[in-house]
Amino acid sequence: MNWAKQLQNIDRRIIYTILMIGLIVPLIWPIGIPLSTQEVTRSIYNIIEDLDPATDVVLLSFDYSPASAPDLHPSSVALVEHLTARGIRWVAVSFWPEGPQMSEMIMRDLEARGLTYGEDFIDLGFMAGGENAIMSFAQDSRVIKTDVRGNNIDTLTLMDGIVDMNDFAFVIGLSAGDPGYNAFIRQAVDPMGVKFAAAVVTVSVPAAMPFVSSGQMKGLLGGLRGAAEYEQLTGIIGQGAAMMDAQSIGHLIIVAFIIVGNVAYFFSKKN
Amino acid sequence: MRREIPLFITFLVGVIFLFGPITTGDVPLVGMQFREIVSVYLSPWTTIISAFAIGLASVNLLRLHGNYVARKRPGWINSAALVFSMLFFTVARTIRELRPADPDIVAFYSRIFDNIAAPLSGAMFAILAFYIASASYRAFRARSLEASVLLVAAIVVMLGAAPVGAIIWDYFPSLQRWLLAVPNTAGQRAIIIGAAIGGFATSLRILFGLERGYLGGE
Repeated sequence: MNWAKQLQNIDRRIIYTILMIGLIVPLIWPIGIPLSTQEVTRSIYNIIEDLDPATDVVLLSFDYSPASAPDLHPSSVALVEHLTARGIRWVAVSFWPEGPQMSEMIMRDLEARGLTYGEDFIDLGFMAGGENAIMSFAQDSRVIKTDVRGNNIDTLTLMDGIVDMNDFAFVIGLSAGDPGYNAFIRQAVDPMGVKFAAAVVTVSVPAAMPFVSSGQMKGLLGGLRGAAEYEQLTGIIGQGAAMMDAQSIGHLIIVAFIIVGNVAYFFSKKN
Repeated sequence: MRREIPLFITFLVGVIFLFGPITTGDVPLVGMQFREIVSVYLSPWTTIISAFAIGLASVNLLRLHGNYVARKRPGWINSAALVFSMLFFTVARTIRELRPADPDIVAFYSRIFDNIAAPLSGAMFAILAFYIASASYRAFRARSLEASVLLVAAIVVMLGAAPVGAIIWDYFPSLQRWLLAVPNTAGQRAIIIGAAIGGFATSLRILFGLERGYLGGE
């Protein structure tokens, strides 16, 4: 059957074009498909809701690059918006070289809205050394002597009382690879009992699930969907929710092509 | 002695790192705990070596592509673009690091990073989505029982992960969560434990000098 053979070998340019249209159209004309919230997302939300703005400081580790930013940056923004809305101060650090630039994007926006660097948040910058750097920072969170703006950390009130990673009320790793959540679990969570959660790229979700099941991670934001769920919980809608319609259509198109290919395969086998 | 000294250093440093998390008393004659030796003396070295590794990789890349440009090898234009980009961003970031409080320099670097590096990196990663779509269409064929199971699992996970899945069938999201929480977690745990045991065995071989590939040479 000629049609069956043709349907098994659709030109990839046709696939790319249909997928591209399917992704662009919902971005321009949103559909508004309802989204449910998973327990792993709600866990992180509940922890931040229970923090005390007067005493608690959160550590955010920006361990991703611009390549992963479309998948992970919306989660970072959603978490920071929640912390900002609750008045909780936070400290940024990075064990990836491009990380400080990702946190800088967020900080620039916050400063434009009237928040103050040094009082509401600070950025300790990048620390080379991979997992060993995470271990060093976990055991001595004052090992980085100056922040990205050249200020001595002893002059920053936000770092008062912070000696090691346990002095942060909550640690969230924004991880796109290695070093990432794995290293935090080995060097901070298990030996020191640090309260930790992670936002990871979608492809890392299956590998991260065992650590959520075991309780080593208190929650997990998985890619764009995790960001969209978190935005829904906080009520501060951002890029995550805006892109979920496109993700839905994209997944539908891929599944449709898979089904078409298999139907054609079965018909050609039958003959 | 050319081999013995590095092997001894490897053994000594490895033992210190190994005993650091599991001992509490002071090391005789040293007067410090193993974990203190790690944090005070060894950790800064790993940070320095990592930084130098990044620098070495960059220098090597510049040397390789500089050579392509100099000899006008096929595609040397791409190498020239790479060399120019690397030097440009290296100089820009170096100046930014030296003058962190200068708002004009910070704004300039942010502008070039946010408008050049970030979109290009994101676009390169996003191209993968199209490759995955085409590869999924061609690879996910129910040719055997195992392939059929993989195919069904892939469809369930894809539709369960997207909000539209819940509209098509109520049970897609819960099936997807079950697949991730039970079979996936079981398989991942087996992989993690296997990799950890393998890593431990390899580490012991390196510690005792049975594995010498890292020394290089003959």
